[in-house]
Amino acid sequence: MTLGLNHFLILAAALFCIGIFGVLTSKSALRVVICVELILNAVNLNLAAFSAYVAPKEAVGASFVIFLMVVAAAEVGLALALIITLNRTSDISAIDSMSRMKG
Amino acid sequence: MSSDVVFFYIYGLVALAGAIGLVTAPRLVHAVMSLLATLLSVAALYLLMGSEFLAAMQLFVYGGAVTVLALFVLMLTNPEQNSAGRSGRGIVLTAGGLCVVLFGLLSTALMRGQWNIGAVRVHDTESLATILFSRYVLPFELAGLVLTIALIGAIVLAREDDMPDVVASPESQLADEAGDVA
Repeated sequence: MTLGLNHFLILAAALFCIGIFGVLTSKSALRVVICVELILNAVNLNLAAFSAYVAPKEAVGASFVIFLMVVAAAEVGLALALIITLNRTSDISAIDSMSRMKG
Repeated sequence: MSSDVVFFYIYGLVALAGAIGLVTAPRLVHAVMSLLATLLSVAALYLLMGSEFLAAMQLFVYGGAVTVLALFVLMLTNPEQNSAGRSGRGIVLTAGGLCVVLFGLLSTALMRGQWNIGAVRVHDTESLATILFSRYVLPFELAGLVLTIALIGAIVLAREDDMPDVVASPESQLADEAGDVA
């Protein structure tokens, strides 16, 4: 039994589903943000696995992983700044009660 | 069973346990620590694939920066509000069922797929550098721009409101200081 592409893909699918569950069920905004990080990590694992097994000579998937890391870092920075601002201005961090911008 | 598979199962189980801990831990600090366990074992999985540069980046960016940033925000905000309770039972059951169905679909599709690709292990740092600086050099520079804009935006968003305005002219700031002294 050798280590195949399927191993990585199924592990990434499991991490992705757990992340989606966390985004759907948690109430704290910080936990939602780090669950999104988990989802992006699962996608990264998929991309890197395909890159290592399908096209190992040409690291296209690995470069996509780098770009996704950039986007994830930008996303987490902005989201955490938003959480700090919300916490300072309105004492709200349960995302269900963030309804000020509803029409 | 080769040693690769054994190590894959060890790190995969740690990653899954960390992810479940992230979702279920009642306190947010424990959730962030579980996320750290997941991120570190994903870095180990990158090493198993032979892409050691991705493993290093995972350690620096996720294991270092993102975790520390999340912990900082946790300390800056109010912890009692942060450990806000979970959603209702109906939402949890619905979301859990949805995710189990999604995982079932994904894994059956993956099991059926014929991925007849041998375990090719190439240390790909050099090819990654080549492709990043030749074919994807424009997206690479744009990624730097995206990071700069996002960080400036984060500073602007999280800044205290009563700090002196950056765009105020020097004369008015001098006038303010003179008024304070007087």
